[in-house]
Amino acid sequence: MENQQVDLPENSATSRRRLLTSLLAGGAFAAAAPLLASRASAADGTTASTVAPPNRDKADNATLNALVRREDQMVATYAAAVKATSNADDAAALTLIHDHHVAYVQALAGYLGRDAVATGNGSALAGATGSFASNASQLANLETATMNQHIDALSSLNGLNAATLVASIITMEARHSAALALVSGLAPLNAAGN
Amino acid sequence: MTQNSTPKYSRRAMLTTGGVAAGAAFLAACSSTNTTVTRLGSAPTTAMLEDAAVTDVVLLRTAMSVETMIADLYTADAVTSLADSTMAPIVSAYAAAHKANLGGLASAIAARGGAAYNGTNEKLMLAYGQAALDLIAEGKDKTDVHAIALALETLAASTYQYFVSLTNEKALRAEMMRLGATSSRRAAVVAQQINSGTQGFAPGLDKDGVATVATLPSAFGALSSIQVTLGPVNPESGTRAVVLMDTPSLNSLIY
Repeated sequence: MENQQVDLPENSATSRRRLLTSLLAGGAFAAAAPLLASRASAADGTTASTVAPPNRDKADNATLNALVRREDQMVATYAAAVKATSNADDAAALTLIHDHHVAYVQALAGYLGRDAVATGNGSALAGATGSFASNASQLANLETATMNQHIDALSSLNGLNAATLVASIITMEARHSAALALVSGLAPLNAAGN
Repeated sequence: MTQNSTPKYSRRAMLTTGGVAAGAAFLAACSSTNTTVTRLGSAPTTAMLEDAAVTDVVLLRTAMSVETMIADLYTADAVTSLADSTMAPIVSAYAAAHKANLGGLASAIAARGGAAYNGTNEKLMLAYGQAALDLIAEGKDKTDVHAIALALETLAASTYQYFVSLTNEKALRAEMMRLGATSSRRAAVVAQQINSGTQGFAPGLDKDGVATVATLPSAFGALSSIQVTLGPVNPESGTRAVVLMDTPSLNSLIY
């Protein structure tokens, strides 16, 4: 076994003045730390240092409330579509998507809290009076439009938490749209958007 | 018989001794002599890692690497040789779509002063990409083409969804989700090829109690590991290998 001696630096005598100076410096650093932490660094040197996005921003409320209203309308639309569907499998599938949209209303309104618009009174976006295939096609288009509204909203949302929530909704609304397009009779690659 | 013994130490003596000891300890702490610490064994010097920040350019470069990896997996012989008449055009179109995404990503990187990354994501290939390919080649099961396509499109969609939470620029978050949404649509189409019709929308169980592939597995896009069952059946256990695919993380980003 090898033994090594490590020399530590000499301890300097601590004067009262030095102690007070250190305390003042420490206090100043503690006060400045949150400000320093809010700055994001850029690695490549070509991009200027930018302010890290906030987790939450009141300025997003109007955009998010518009999404709540749209999702509320989707809930009403699916509720009408389920009523108009006689096949049990089709009705179960539409009920599943209806429940997803209910979850989106609840999640967005829950995020907004007291700033959320009233929910539960949305009007259906389309009449579900035709065959299941034609209704599915109509619903697929509505899903695409709703998804695009959410994607456009991402361009203006400042808060990261709201953006993260909206992104998770977009992922599934894209699936809703493709699945409905496929069962309405669209070819696979057309339904996939290729 | 009881004897009253005289105590060896009086209270005064104890206080005096304690005071002297505390004083000695205080003076020792104030001494300015060098202190030496004995260290056992040899400790190699360590090089500090470079400080790397996750910028929008890093995310875009990583997105390019994931798109390239997915396109490479789709066009690998192991996959194309097993694709049937239904899946062959889908696999081919999906591979082309992922390659086409590279142009837009490269432009976005250039606009932000970065350099495009044209290679695959070596870390993810090492973590699960190559293992998946090897299993498909070994198993020669046509259903593996469906399974890998569903997993890869879900992976791409989850990657862009995850990157939204790391992206600084708002407009870029929207652009990433446009790409993610397209992959999500493709995933739904493949899921329908495996378990078709409206009865395939919701999660369920088959007659053997095994979970079926759902087109709409959850209300919100998930970021958990994507499980894909591939390869030959193990003759001893009767099961097939499960590969876990994760979205890129700090150790697989392209800085």
